[in-house]
Amino acid sequence: MNWQLARPWRVVFGIGMATLVMCFFSCSSHDTKFQQYFSQGQSLYEKHCSNCHQKNGEGLKRLYPPLANSDFFKKNLPTSICIMKYGIAGEMKVNGVNFNKPMPGVPSLTELELAEIATYIANSWGAEEGRTTIEQVTEALKSCKTQ
Amino acid sequence: MKKEFFAITFIVGVLLLAGCSTKPARLPFFGERTFNGKDTLYHTIAPFQFIDQDSVAITNATFKDKIYVADFFFTSCRTICPIMKTQMLRVYEATQNMPDVLILSHTIDPEYDTVALLHDYANRLDVKSSRWHFVTGAKDSIFKIAQTSYFATAMEDKTEPDGFIHSGAFLLIDKKGRLRGKYDGAREEDVNRLIGDIKILRQE
Ligand code: HEC
Repeated sequence: MNWQLARPWRVVFGIGMATLVMCFFSCSSHDTKFQQYFSQGQSLYEKHCSNCHQKNGEGLKRLYPPLANSDFFKKNLPTSICIMKYGIAGEMKVNGVNFNKPMPGVPSLTELELAEIATYIANSWGAEEGRTTIEQVTEALKSCKTQ
Repeated sequence: MKKEFFAITFIVGVLLLAGCSTKPARLPFFGERTFNGKDTLYHTIAPFQFIDQDSVAITNATFKDKIYVADFFFTSCRTICPIMKTQMLRVYEATQNMPDVLILSHTIDPEYDTVALLHDYANRLDVKSSRWHFVTGAKDSIFKIAQTSYFATAMEDKTEPDGFIHSGAFLLIDKKGRLRGKYDGAREEDVNRLIGDIKILRQE
């Protein structure tokens, strides 16, 4: 018996393998980048944010608003990125509850770090919104009121 | 000779074990103690008068025959104070049904933390002013009482990110104004110990 496949089969086989390999690489590179952002984001979150917003993202009563399932964060990603860097003061509503305590920003956060923190928040505590990119952060920072 | 030696070792061993396994029945006393010829006198919290979130004067008399937990913080602090408040809220909730236990939080930034601000802060924490007093007053008196009565660090330092150095200590005071415990208010396990000690103190 001939060990070689018939020519049409060889083509099919080749294309199949190539697709598999490409798929593997694109999926895994997406995954590793996501994982990197997520785990960096987690340690940055625990360093700069969880004092107030808590490790479980639930906030503290009407003093510190929740980030877990926050309608504000979901609807206002660019504004939320501005808040992280520059802080915010004044009244705001999160999930129907009024908050009004100034939040100090962390101006030293880089665009990459902001993307990582946003990725962590957007994919924690039940949410799965995918990765926030640096391009999104650059764009968001242009819109910040306080610079 | 040999028998006696074993008997003694055995007795000493039992005594040692017994000593280890019995919990300290009493909490320690902090600070200097003096003997007046009849009784030992312990260090007590010096007289004070501050104003709480409801503009009510708070003095040592407020805590007459009460156990209380004291701490030092300020509302705009972003480092350990939010953690301390999360932990103090646990103390508040654990002592909900103990009418003889109160909480006293002093601001160390009275210029910024006005009565109105403390009122809003307490309100947002959803706590009753009858059980948890947030007080403000003359800055010097607050720093002084922190250091000399509660043995807690609190001072201004412009080089710190928040402008103050302060310890995150929670202090436990008994019904006679004596300091009976010191805990790290930023550490959950330490605060668990505090909650246990409050129960021990209530038995005295
Ligand atoms: C000192 C406490 C504190 C720290 C630290 C803090 N925040 Fe906040 N944050 C607040 C308060 C208070 C508000 C509400 C502000 C207002 O009422 O105007 C807020 C609001 C927000 C909001 C918008 C409302 C919401 O809940 O969705 C986001 C997003 C947010 N913070 C993210 C962060 C991130 C990310 C960090 C870390 C980089 C952080 N915060 C650090 C106190 C804090």
